[in-house]
Amino acid sequence: MKTPFLVLLIYTVFGLPAAFAQDFDFGKPNGDDLNLKKTAIDSNANAVVIREFGTASIQIDDNDGHSYVDYKYHVKIKILNKLGFNQSNIEIPLWVYNNDKEDEMTDLTAATFNFINGQFVRTDLDKKQVFTDNRSKYLKIKKFTLPNIKEGSIIEFTYRINRRNIFNFVTWEYQSAIPKLYSEFIGFIPAIYNFNASIRGYLKLSSQKGDISKDCLRIQGQNIDCSKMTYIMKDIPPFIEESYMTAASNFKSAIYFELSDVQHLNGYKNNITKTWKDVDYELTGDKSFGGQMKRKDVFKDLLPVVLKNSNDDLNKAKAIYAYIKKSIVWNGYRGKYSENSIKKALDTHSGNIGDINLALVAALSAANLDAEAVMLSTRENGIVNNLYPVISDFDYVVAKVNIAGQSYLLDASDPLLPFGLLPMRCINDRGRVVNLKKESYWYDLKASQKDISRYTFDGALAEDGKIKGKLITYSNGYSALNKRNKILKASSIDQYVEKLDEQMPEISILKHKISNLDSLDLPLIEDYDIEMKVFDRMNAQQFYFNPFFIDHTTKNPFNLSERNYPVDLAAANEKRVNILLRLPSGYTLNDQPKDMNIALPDGGGKYLSQISFMNDTINFSQVFQLNKAIYTPEEYLSLKEFFSRIIQQQKTDLILKKAK
Amino acid sequence: MFRRFLFLLLIPIVIPAAAQNTYKADDIPSALKNRSNAVIRDMETVVDMRAPDNVSIKVRQAVTVLNKNGDSRAELVLFYNKNNSIKSIKGIIYDTQGKPISKFNQSNFTDESAISDFSLFEDDRVKHFKPAVTEYPYTIVYEYELKNKQNLIIPDWYASPSPDVSVEKNSYRFLCLPGDKLHIKTYNYPGETKETKEEKLLSYSWEMTNIPSFQTEPYAPSPENYLTRVKIAPEKFSYYAFSGNYNNWNDLGKWIYTDLLSKRQNLTPETVQMVKSLVDGVNDPKEKAKKIYAYMQEKTRYVSVQIGIGGFQPISATEVDRMGYGDCKGLVNYMQSLLKAADIYSEYCIVYAGNQKRGLDPDFASMNQANHIILCVPFERDTTWLECTSQTVPFGFLGDFTDDRTVLACTERGGKLLHTPVLPATENKTIRMASLNIDNEGNIKGNMLTRFEGAEYDNCEGLISDSPEERVKSLKSKYDLDNIEFEKITFNQIKTSKPATTECLDLSIKSYVPQTQSRAYLVLNAFNKVKNINEVTNRIRPVVINRGFTELDTIQYTLPENFKIESEMENIQIKNDFGSFVVKTTLTGKLLTYIRYFLLKEGNYPPERYKDLVDFISRVRRYDQSKAIFRLN
Repeated sequence: MKTPFLVLLIYTVFGLPAAFAQDFDFGKPNGDDLNLKKTAIDSNANAVVIREFGTASIQIDDNDGHSYVDYKYHVKIKILNKLGFNQSNIEIPLWVYNNDKEDEMTDLTAATFNFINGQFVRTDLDKKQVFTDNRSKYLKIKKFTLPNIKEGSIIEFTYRINRRNIFNFVTWEYQSAIPKLYSEFIGFIPAIYNFNASIRGYLKLSSQKGDISKDCLRIQGQNIDCSKMTYIMKDIPPFIEESYMTAASNFKSAIYFELSDVQHLNGYKNNITKTWKDVDYELTGDKSFGGQMKRKDVFKDLLPVVLKNSNDDLNKAKAIYAYIKKSIVWNGYRGKYSENSIKKALDTHSGNIGDINLALVAALSAANLDAEAVMLSTRENGIVNNLYPVISDFDYVVAKVNIAGQSYLLDASDPLLPFGLLPMRCINDRGRVVNLKKESYWYDLKASQKDISRYTFDGALAEDGKIKGKLITYSNGYSALNKRNKILKASSIDQYVEKLDEQMPEISILKHKISNLDSLDLPLIEDYDIEMKVFDRMNAQQFYFNPFFIDHTTKNPFNLSERNYPVDLAAANEKRVNILLRLPSGYTLNDQPKDMNIALPDGGGKYLSQISFMNDTINFSQVFQLNKAIYTPEEYLSLKEFFSRIIQQQKTDLILKKAK
Repeated sequence: MFRRFLFLLLIPIVIPAAAQNTYKADDIPSALKNRSNAVIRDMETVVDMRAPDNVSIKVRQAVTVLNKNGDSRAELVLFYNKNNSIKSIKGIIYDTQGKPISKFNQSNFTDESAISDFSLFEDDRVKHFKPAVTEYPYTIVYEYELKNKQNLIIPDWYASPSPDVSVEKNSYRFLCLPGDKLHIKTYNYPGETKETKEEKLLSYSWEMTNIPSFQTEPYAPSPENYLTRVKIAPEKFSYYAFSGNYNNWNDLGKWIYTDLLSKRQNLTPETVQMVKSLVDGVNDPKEKAKKIYAYMQEKTRYVSVQIGIGGFQPISATEVDRMGYGDCKGLVNYMQSLLKAADIYSEYCIVYAGNQKRGLDPDFASMNQANHIILCVPFERDTTWLECTSQTVPFGFLGDFTDDRTVLACTERGGKLLHTPVLPATENKTIRMASLNIDNEGNIKGNMLTRFEGAEYDNCEGLISDSPEERVKSLKSKYDLDNIEFEKITFNQIKTSKPATTECLDLSIKSYVPQTQSRAYLVLNAFNKVKNINEVTNRIRPVVINRGFTELDTIQYTLPENFKIESEMENIQIKNDFGSFVVKTTLTGKLLTYIRYFLLKEGNYPPERYKDLVDFISRVRRYDQSKAIFRLN
């Protein structure tokens, strides 16, 4: 499932100089605004953007000669009811850059208009009520709230930002939490700059045009023309998130820009983003990327110790992977670049994702293994542009090692991950493999292991109404990872089992054994002796018994009637249950759940269950499989029905009757 | 809401002191390692009050982290603002053997704004340090000094600051000048306060050693009730531009009224006039107050801004009037001013708000026991309480955010303690009435009315405010049944001081009653299954049921012709100290009636009764799964 990326052509049309960007007048709410009660786009909106206008151009600062984006924003919003009041709390992020430069906001005007006694009464925002939240080294947030908000208030504000980073120009989001009637963005880009523009989301622009704006920028005494691009979208529905979906930014309608090249007046052309070849060259030469991949020297003295028990390549790779996991603690920051250098990360035992996994690549290479770096974008960060390189799309890097014709993807940031399995956050479409010697290439990011749980139960129902028996569970893939995490959180196996026992008042765990806790490449095995209270007594002539007491499905995760975006489960998933249960003798079977064998279309999944009763013993088996990691919106209803059938079946019982 | 208090818990400091303190992990007694993720080896807190506007807080702490889950106990989080600054921080990290690995200081800390999620703006900031060590156990030793330009809030000292952390030694010393008068209260402290006179200083000190770690338990009292702590309030205080004296709640309430409120209650003549005309012709003061409350709800909304003294002092009533917003202080003060304009007397009350009930300590007055403000209007025949931060809450209803607790009313004549109304189990009602028709295929169609009262009244506020799409989603997770669909959703609310919300649903559930070859299975209790509660091995704390409730569900199923009952009609009756549970199922012709009554009372019980509570809830849970089984003709 690919997100639609459209390349918007930046036209260069020769014609009359276009009129200057046409903003709408501030402070002139009209009768239409007043009468607006509901919108056809979303009849239940609590607030609606009546009109939104933004314009941006690239300018040169006369003082320091640096370029910046001059961005102006203006919006008019109607608050339809009390629940829309929070739309009048405004936050505007301003970035602080490494070179001491920061975005600056000016020309803020904001006011509320209430219709009282036949006319609009304007209340201006008190400038003293504009706060600056110095959130961190990198981010300041201007915050204010508009005065005198009532149902029916119209709020309007406009501001200008001098953005000291032209690389992404402006990201214009058409969709937000409330619907918009009209949203217009006009960009002026001087002819010496080239931007790649892309639109995301499923909504269509209502209009798009390109003109020439004459002499819009003056550099070194020379007048430069601009392309003036106008993008308009009308009647925009709000963006509503769904469960089991990756980053909202993949689906939200918006226009993104990335600087591609700058044509300097002296004739020199500076390619910022162009081809993967350029990118490869830059990355492999970058001190915080390729520079770190090459640092085999860091591991020269360490490797003999790390590898002393490893003879073949796979074991070497595993030993190095374990060593890096143990030696550098993830500081919680993502990023494809090394923050501090891998040397420092090893010394201080702390580093970001770049530090950790580039160290892994360097260490693997130092052991003469074929290791590469894979840049990727995490699920929360969205899918990367597949039309041309957009470096800023990538927020993560992992290692890839190729041994005997097989490739393994490795992330050393989570100590509990088995060799070759990426954390779920990395399972997002595809990544770009960067190799110091070859050209880079795309590589699919898939969970290398199926998420498997297998349960076997062998026990007996006694006359006292209790089931006693042995439950063994095997977990693989993310299931195993989750359980290992829980055990770690519980501090010890005993405390984990104690908690587990406490969560199930009707079940007692009499004995337990957990194996392979530290052998991450093997399935986690839990072995429990359990006792379960099922009946108060067993003297009834007839009793009902529900055999689905392990992995019982009672709720449908897909319970809505429609779906707009793909269902992304990250990994295929399989659960198997086998139960052998001996009953007191002398019962005959009167009724039982129907045996089932259902499947999703195109091998998407299946559910099988079978029950037999022989020699006083219930023999039950069940297989549940979801074979795909991602299902399309069209498959949603089949998924829903699939679960529904399982739930219905699992509500039915075995009916056993005492033989006369 | 009120501003968050800085340093609610003193996070200890460590001095990488003398050579004998090597903090080897092996030296920890095994009793302290039991069920602990970290051990406080040595912690010392010294508060030195040189003057009301000059208080230094020095903390040094050595913590040994035993495993990964203890990492967070080695983190250092320090809040600061203009009145409370950080003077110094430094520390050293040691390995298992007690050998130093690395040092850190203020430059290793991140620095961020600390604005609560309910606020637009606050001036607090936070510094944060998170050590990165890969080998366990390790020890972190740090010391820091805070300079406070105020003594109105002296952070409480806790002997055992966090769960899963045991304490080898923890001490607290408070230094002041000999003439200074203090109010001191110790809670659960086994010894006596040690008082010594040093050269020119008076010293009070407390120390505890070898405290095993504590675990949190479900249905337990709030930790304030069982943890060892010390509260100190100097009689003479300074806070921003204010200073004063207090010995008790009366004094403190008087100061709040006189210095923080009284000058902020003026309204413009136009507004006073407006209020007068609003209540013109109304005689009953309560009716007048109701009109004014409705006006206030319509006019204002909750926006929290906390800067400096603004944490305790409301913005003026004229400001709220002009801007149409304020925080709890500002809105209560505004409402009080409006009432005054109509000659109605009311009282500004400080309260600790939250679902878990926590009152002010009647015997100990201090400024750090509350987080919210409500308004009390004592009418001749009854006392009405007003929550002023919501546009939708009914006049005279507080709900479970501020019910049943001790609050401080700040009045001209001084402060006085009051108690907010109780919401008893018998009034916290959920009454459900459903009438459902089952067809041959096992599909269900019908309607359901559910009435919520008392503490349950505002259960549907989220649903009511949702958009229709969200409403369906929320209802589907509230009544999480496969294939449930809602054909019609409406809500009715009675907004009196004993309010009620009725949720009316037309619904259908496809294949709710699945069939095998010969039988059909109906889960009788479709909508209201009790949630599991965890067992606790070795229960230590008493059992507290904070707030009780009553549930009465009546579901009438009309059966199709071919269903013939096979299972027994289940009738259950359980009654015990915790409450009662009754199920009654009857079949009359084709009408199957299921009645479920569940009462859980509020109450306190000794720890050993916890297993009885678990047993009771488990039994209810088991009966909530009961099925009626039909033979198909």
